[in-house]
Amino acid sequence: MNIILLSLALLLAVGSLVIKKTVPSIISFILMMFVLGLYYINLDAKLLGLFQIFIYTGGIMVLMLFGVTIIGTEYPQAKMRPWSAFSAFLVFVALVVLFMKHADTLTLVATSKTEDINLFSAQYSDFVIIFALIGSSLLYGTIKMSGVLKARRSKNV
Amino acid sequence: MFETQMIFAFGLFALGLYGVSSRRDFLRIFFSMEMLLNSIILMLAITAHYLGMTQNIVLAYMIIIIATLEAAAGLLIFAAANKITKVVSPDELNSEKV
Repeated sequence: MNIILLSLALLLAVGSLVIKKTVPSIISFILMMFVLGLYYINLDAKLLGLFQIFIYTGGIMVLMLFGVTIIGTEYPQAKMRPWSAFSAFLVFVALVVLFMKHADTLTLVATSKTEDINLFSAQYSDFVIIFALIGSSLLYGTIKMSGVLKARRSKNV
Repeated sequence: MFETQMIFAFGLFALGLYGVSSRRDFLRIFFSMEMLLNSIILMLAITAHYLGMTQNIVLAYMIIIIATLEAAAGLLIFAAANKITKVVSPDELNSEKV
């Protein structure tokens, strides 16, 4: 059952990238996320599955339809970039090889006794780094956007 | 079983990576980024179930919340840029071409 759900999710993911019409592509993507939610429920992570379906899928669906309403459905055709397919395949192979190499160690680490989990107290510095990255990317986007606006204004004048 | 499902998650990650690097319209790039995040959530859920790493579920909730907020922020920024520049491809969203 799990494999069937995952295969379906992967097929729908491919469909959302391949289908040229915008609304069927959005529907394919939303169905993919819904199937993943069902998979989580099947994995006994019921709350995660419900989160995925109601918050993630619902939120993304509303956002996407809102975006399509504002921006429109006409987009340029995708460029043929063979190196991107090759690099994605390379990453996939590297991930699989690394995982297969360390799968036994992962099982051992997971089953060995560890100290109590203190996610937000012992590792808070990790979160500081993540938020610093998010903040700096937002700052970069704002600066870039202000440059675009300035260029636009100077063109109009 | 555990290994097969992880390979599916890696496949979803590679698909997202391919979409981010090959597509030109913002919608497909956005889908691909969500696929990357979904593959990470999938990996966390699988390891939580099969290896008993239940703390991963907390990280999965965090990723879902951050991804939803990021989606809203990204879409609004792109909608604002589209209103000003009338551009639908992020490739053309620079000062030279606008």
